[in-house]
Amino acid sequence: MAAAGDEYDPTPSEDELESHLQTRNMVVNLGPSHPATHGTVRLKIELDGETIVKMDTEIGFLHRGFQKSCENVTWTQVLPYTDRLDYVASLQNNFGYLAAVENLMGVVIPERAQYIRVIGSELHRIASHLTTAGALSLELGGFGAFLYAIEARELIIDRVTELSGARLTTSYGRIGGLNRDVPEGWTDKVLKSLIKIEELAGEVEGLMTRNRIFTDRTRGTGIITKEDALDFGFTGPCLRACGVSYDVRKAKPYWVYDKLDFEVPVGVNGDNYDRYYLRVLEIAQSMKMIRQAIAQMPQGPVMVDDWRIALPPKENVYNSIEGVIAHFKLVMEGVPVPPGEAYHATESPNGELGWYLRSDGSGRPYKIHVRAPGFQILSGLGRMCEGRMLADLIPTFDTINMIGGEVEQ
Amino acid sequence: MRIGFLFVSAALILGGFFSLMAAAYALSGFLEGVGIEHLGIHGLSGIGVIAVVMLGGVMVLSTLLTMAERKWSALIQNRVGPNRIHLPIPGLKDNALFGLPHIAPDVLKMLSKEAFRPKAANKFLFDLAPMLAFGPVFALFAIVPAGPTLDIFGHRVMMAVASPDFGLLYLFAIASLAVYGTSLAGWSSNNKFALLGGVRASSQMISYEVALGLSLVGMMISFSTVRLSGVGGIAESQAAYLWSTHIGSLDVGLPMWGIFIQPLGFVLFFAASFAETKRAPFDSPEGESEIVGYFLEYSGMQFGMFMISEFVEVVVLSGVLVTIFFGAWHLPFGNEALQQVQFLRDYPILMGALFGTVFWLKVLALIFLQLLIRWTFPRFRYDQVQNLGWKILLPMGLFNLFVTGALILWDPSLRYLALFGFVVIGIFLFLSLTPPRQVRLAEAAADDHGGGHGHGGHDDHGDAHALPANTH
Repeated sequence: MAAAGDEYDPTPSEDELESHLQTRNMVVNLGPSHPATHGTVRLKIELDGETIVKMDTEIGFLHRGFQKSCENVTWTQVLPYTDRLDYVASLQNNFGYLAAVENLMGVVIPERAQYIRVIGSELHRIASHLTTAGALSLELGGFGAFLYAIEARELIIDRVTELSGARLTTSYGRIGGLNRDVPEGWTDKVLKSLIKIEELAGEVEGLMTRNRIFTDRTRGTGIITKEDALDFGFTGPCLRACGVSYDVRKAKPYWVYDKLDFEVPVGVNGDNYDRYYLRVLEIAQSMKMIRQAIAQMPQGPVMVDDWRIALPPKENVYNSIEGVIAHFKLVMEGVPVPPGEAYHATESPNGELGWYLRSDGSGRPYKIHVRAPGFQILSGLGRMCEGRMLADLIPTFDTINMIGGEVEQ
Repeated sequence: MRIGFLFVSAALILGGFFSLMAAAYALSGFLEGVGIEHLGIHGLSGIGVIAVVMLGGVMVLSTLLTMAERKWSALIQNRVGPNRIHLPIPGLKDNALFGLPHIAPDVLKMLSKEAFRPKAANKFLFDLAPMLAFGPVFALFAIVPAGPTLDIFGHRVMMAVASPDFGLLYLFAIASLAVYGTSLAGWSSNNKFALLGGVRASSQMISYEVALGLSLVGMMISFSTVRLSGVGGIAESQAAYLWSTHIGSLDVGLPMWGIFIQPLGFVLFFAASFAETKRAPFDSPEGESEIVGYFLEYSGMQFGMFMISEFVEVVVLSGVLVTIFFGAWHLPFGNEALQQVQFLRDYPILMGALFGTVFWLKVLALIFLQLLIRWTFPRFRYDQVQNLGWKILLPMGLFNLFVTGALILWDPSLRYLALFGFVVIGIFLFLSLTPPRQVRLAEAAADDHGGGHGHGGHDDHGDAHALPANTH
């Protein structure tokens, strides 16, 4: 604008012609209740057209006070709370927590229990990966693959139900082993289910892996570099997709993972496609592991033979004073975890599920902190999405597989 | 039991189409006669076509499609689909009737819901948008001939509402009007997500019009006409044979269908018109998992209008495709023989109904194809849709146009064009049947943490190395 008094010059200056239209960025809220944000999370997005300029991730809608709740119950009673962390793979949380407590106590569980834990963990890893791949397809508009994946997951949930009695809130396993052995004929059923799951996973893969539209949507989107991923603290498939071969099962083997022959697939580009395809490969590896574990699984007890940790058999409780006392002390005071602190990690479907436990010897946890893999990965979501298109956010959010329960605890 | 049921439903479908078309011819012939004899005007048969073919055919088919989509998608996804409503009629109590009774409560729900309007929305435009989205789509069918032109009650009756000289140009003109409905819906709702959807829709629909038009030019120059119906129109020209012979009185041969002489044009037009209908995989304006869609703020029957216009689009698009590329109402062979049957010549209504049934069956097949695509593919990204339109469909359309033009100049009988068409079909078949080259696989780097890995005694489990991993 010419100031008052200036002579009007009809020839426009170069700047005037070149200057862009003055626009404002648009701020939209994706979530907390939005079809793409499964698990309640709010994504505050500043958009320039369709491009994400800035993104804030806001969590806390599913906060349940997990840590504080754990401090008020005995070590065994923490178990049901862990179901609700990564509810897609609750056995992983159960066993991860138990392994951490056993680590703090210095207890080695019977080998059969270790094998069953491996089988359960890997079953739930397959379930989680299938859900991720299916949800990815669903949100890209391919409803069919999602339902095939869910059908396969349903088989796993059926097997888990036979194992633990619950579909999602498994609470399976106890400190020192397992509360009960696998049902009769269960392993055969698992093997049969695996065949069907393989078939369904093949359908899912057939609909997605080589689908041009799918690869266009996922390749080169949601990229994170190896350095950034390490800085953010990524673990699991999201880190391995960047090319870092880090898997707790290999890096620090627990239970019987060192007796199983499996490989850790590693990606190259760290984009959505790698994260998706890595999960597909891991499903195959998990199946291999389950088959090996079932073949190798020895007979024997599934619980340590120590009445300070394991509940005594009922006939001892009813008929002997030692049994009654052991039972009473276990129920009223809890498992005597010695004072001290420990960090123990297992490989959950999303990455390193770490448990930092501190005990003061009172029978209840003094402090429990969960290093949920999803939290670190969610914090990197902004880095993956800023400067990219809004539509890329959707597959990215899916492939990082954010689970509200474990991120917000 | 099940096979019997299938026969009954197939007979119902055939009978439905047949009686629909018979009614259309009868009513149109009657109206034409009334018009000419009492009012002195031609073309009243169009009213009969509107009443029977468009309202009775297109609209009913679209309504049934709401259920067919749910049932067919259930088939694709290994589900049962809606089957909860049973009619309290003796004998049918235990039969879900393919879920058809679900249509009634669906419509009742839509009609009885509150038509909510956001406070800050522009009242006029907000109410106008659903109508603008529905109207043009429905009007598209006006130039599609659903059957042959016949003499009914002594008057020539054309099975299209109108047969303008500009034929296909009407199609392009009206199709481009549909963009107003969607963009206005997005704009007037005063909602950010709806706005994004409206912007996406308008840019997508406008840019695909170019490819849409270009893909049909090949057909236009093949038959040197832009008219669809009427003598010399694209629909009737396709009845001619490229190569033919007679077996007895039956004429057999390869008809001049658009799919044979213009397969590339068909694929381009199909893709472009799919993008125009905004259905998956081109449904980024809707993108329910991203931005929910341009009709986000609509409820009740206003939302229903958007939904039903989508289904009408499917039917109309199938009708257009059948007319331009699949020989309209013609059978692939035996048309001449059928037209010589004395019984049918005596009762032209029956002949019209017969050919009309052929038309609707082809439409039904193409509807199924569209739903198959819609339920198989994921969604394009907004900019990839543009890339496909401008960088692939448009150059291919130009290529198709030049090749078609050259081949027609060389051989006006269109046989060389058909040979070229076979080559194209062969290429498409080759591309879709050969397995794609191996996708880039995530390479397994040597695992340097793997202490204790690969213990002896487990090698018998570890030989399934189909996976691209080289851990050892």
